[in-house]
Amino acid sequence: MGAAIEQVIHLELPSAIQHVYLLDTLIVDILNEMDFDEETTEQVILAVIEAGTNAIKHGNQEDLNKSAHFKFIIHPDKLTIIVQDEGNGFKREEVPDPLNPENLLKSSGRGIFLMESCMDSVTFEQSGTIVKMVKHKSLIEQKCESV
Amino acid sequence: MTVDIRKKEGVTILDIEGRIIGSDSLALKNIIDEQVAEAEEGEAKILLNLADVRMVDSSGLGIIVATYTAVQKKGGRIALLHPGGNIRSLIVMAKLVTIFDRYEDEDEAIASFHRSNN
Repeated sequence: MGAAIEQVIHLELPSAIQHVYLLDTLIVDILNEMDFDEETTEQVILAVIEAGTNAIKHGNQEDLNKSAHFKFIIHPDKLTIIVQDEGNGFKREEVPDPLNPENLLKSSGRGIFLMESCMDSVTFEQSGTIVKMVKHKSLIEQKCESV
Repeated sequence: MTVDIRKKEGVTILDIEGRIIGSDSLALKNIIDEQVAEAEEGEAKILLNLADVRMVDSSGLGIIVATYTAVQKKGGRIALLHPGGNIRSLIVMAKLVTIFDRYEDEDEAIASFHRSNN
């Protein structure tokens, strides 16, 4: 049996919020190719859109001189997504909890919470300018593919 | 994203189609704000038909929450029709289940606006 080969896809977007649609199109194709189930696909799409929106809007402040960088690493059993912006970063622990009753009716502040809810792991590096997200294929899906 | 606006028995129905992500959210906010501003005090009755919406992100959800707050302030009410796709799970995850009235039947949704007036 040969060693499993990782495939890596790079994408660089100018910091304009409408480019989030390109991200949507790309991640849908990757997830379809990886044969994720429908529910997991929805979760990953949402997490990627949130991470991309954060990088463009909050990280790069929609400055067209800055780019948002995406790296999709396709493993046989999981998808790793790395998003990097060119902003000043942030401290995860300073982001208010959107489930706190006093924040429930706020119109913003749910992006990171949704990313963390939808992915198996979300970690922030380099002062929050890099976010790394991982989603594993379920054991059932992996078994089906091995038949 | 496209939005068609129609009135039925005093209720403003917004038929939304497509995705509510990224810049769509701001466009939707402007449309909804206009409808809420036009409504008389206590008469803002907004029904968001989400049957043809396949994806909403946190900014889209934020617009729906902001609409709820604006309509409440004006003594009105907002409800969601056919909240499918990822919207249902988003509402659950964000602990907004008790905030939004959700319906699967348009006539029932419209009747609820008139019941809540009594």
